[in-house]
Amino acid sequence: MSTVTFEGVDAYSMLGIAPSSTFDDVKAAYRRAARRLHPDVNRNNPGAAAQFQQITGAYEILADPAQRTKHDEYVQKIPRDQLHFSLRVMPSKRRITTLTEPQVIYMLAEVFPDPRATHESHKRESRLNLCLVLDRSNSMNGPRLNQLKVAAHQIIDQMNETDILSLVAFNDRAEVIIPATAVTDRAALKARVSLMSASGGTELLHGLQSGIGEVRKFLAPRLVNHILLLTDGNTFGDNATALQASRDAAKEGIAISAMGLGQEWNDDFLDELVSASGGSSSYINSAGAVVRFLNNHVRNLSKVFSDRMFLSIAPDPDVKLESAFRLAPSPQPLSVEHGFIPLGTLQRGRNISVLMQFEMPANMPLGFRSAARIVAVGDVFGETIHRFQTISDLSLEVTNTTAQDKPPTAILEALGKLTLYRMQERAQQALDAGDVRQATRSLENLANRLQALGESDLAQQARAEAQQVAHTANLTERGRKSLKFHTRSLMSGENSDSSTSSNSNGDL
Amino acid sequence: MTKCPYCGTQNRPGALFCDDCGQPLLEDPNSLTLPTKQIELVTSEINTKATWGTARFAEDAIILVHIRDATEPVQIVPRARVVIGRADASTPNKPDLDLTSYGAMEKGVSRNHAAIYRSEDTLTLVDLGSANGTHLNGQRLIPEQPRVLRDGDEIRFGKLVVHIYFKTSVSI
Repeated sequence: MSTVTFEGVDAYSMLGIAPSSTFDDVKAAYRRAARRLHPDVNRNNPGAAAQFQQITGAYEILADPAQRTKHDEYVQKIPRDQLHFSLRVMPSKRRITTLTEPQVIYMLAEVFPDPRATHESHKRESRLNLCLVLDRSNSMNGPRLNQLKVAAHQIIDQMNETDILSLVAFNDRAEVIIPATAVTDRAALKARVSLMSASGGTELLHGLQSGIGEVRKFLAPRLVNHILLLTDGNTFGDNATALQASRDAAKEGIAISAMGLGQEWNDDFLDELVSASGGSSSYINSAGAVVRFLNNHVRNLSKVFSDRMFLSIAPDPDVKLESAFRLAPSPQPLSVEHGFIPLGTLQRGRNISVLMQFEMPANMPLGFRSAARIVAVGDVFGETIHRFQTISDLSLEVTNTTAQDKPPTAILEALGKLTLYRMQERAQQALDAGDVRQATRSLENLANRLQALGESDLAQQARAEAQQVAHTANLTERGRKSLKFHTRSLMSGENSDSSTSSNSNGDL
Repeated sequence: MTKCPYCGTQNRPGALFCDDCGQPLLEDPNSLTLPTKQIELVTSEINTKATWGTARFAEDAIILVHIRDATEPVQIVPRARVVIGRADASTPNKPDLDLTSYGAMEKGVSRNHAAIYRSEDTLTLVDLGSANGTHLNGQRLIPEQPRVLRDGDEIRFGKLVVHIYFKTSVSI
């Protein structure tokens, strides 16, 4: 993952010093940062390794007078009024008690777009390079395919003439229904969509590859390059290749979002597929919701403030990053394996928030200390496109008093909901391990918590699944997906998009 | 380690919610007594929508009956009187909610076991003199004496257990 470059970045801000600093200041700042981020003290910490490269690069520039002069000129050329985003990191407590055992601390990282971006003078629709990759296997026949056509027609209507659209339909093979083109002749594009018919099986890989091929034709940094995949089936045997294809696409700047329709698709696979580029995956449980879902997704893409966002997290040598979860927009579990966390797009007027869980070591010495250095990076769209990054380096106070701060409400609320998602995950893990009793208990606990939080529809589902598990040692596929995606969507604060009433409109 | 006050699971210090049961682990013992906050929540929400624990049954609400061991709940649009029991070939009158297909016979449900009455904005449950009795939240009902039903209540007809939920139809 070290292919990500940091061109266009201010070397002074990397080291956290002023441009007027002397060479000794530069050296001291570099030494301080290197002690934390050096690979020798950070084994198995790719986030730290990448940041170490960055600060070393910054130091090399500033240590050489000739290069430093050149860099100063470059920094001065960056217009002062350029739009940027900001990063705020909030810990679950600022004062931590030193203990003889490791302890958990949570951090809520929020990335805010420039508030000026919502003003008329800066308001502009981001240009899309969008490819719809749609499943048209036999199982899509009937209302599903019809709804999909309606959705595609509406998307064609809402796109601008400067946007690029392509459409790939796949079953056992992939067919490019609309090759990548500007959305000018809407009637002709719609006619092609109307001719689609359903047949055959589901082989996602071909569809995905053709989709990537279409997006590549117009691939450009100033566009929002995005693939929107919709499937209703499980694909066999080509998962590993598809995941590799999505990772390669992410490196080129192509993001993938996925939507699963009905019960048969593989949610774990789609989660992994979208995670490489920070896209989102969603569950649509009725054909009727398809149109709204797709339209909303495309509309949000046209409000992009910056794209190809990611967080780079370097925990201190004695601190461990355990998990990360994107709360908004579109809640999604994130992989922390690489230290780089792709976050996808940042929209105007909406922030990205990520909740992270760290483990702090036992027996910490008293005094102030750092925990993790977090960097947010992304391409900001404006008159021109520019890469921007901002750093947060939080310090915590280690004390030996037992007096505790109350955790911020934002963290408590978010974590309370994330806990629900984790509980259904635990039930699934227990089932996978063959522990029916634990799985039943987890689901019952989940039902109780949901009930206490006023989510009675979801609580009923959890209770029904608990009984199902107790008797058959298995969840129903519908119940499993519904619990997973609905507990997930609780976190966004928006009401879940698809209907949560499992019994009233079972139109699938 | 921090012990969860609800289920006794050991959690790492600093954890804010129990890994096992999902209950909040508040370090400040004063905030462990949640009732004030919860009562506030309930009373404020009663006016907006039917929630768990409330006895208020909105005009357009329906009853969802979750029968243990059945995956799909049964919906009832309550009229003035809903009789619950099991259909029997020897008598012509059928109950409004027939539990035969859920093993009512083996579980000792009477033909006319109990009834749910609807008044202004509440529901009441009455045992109709069943052979094996009706239990509301574990308490046996005295026949012909009405008891108020709340959202989330557990009812046992003989040995057959069901959960009652109120559902306002707007959420669809």
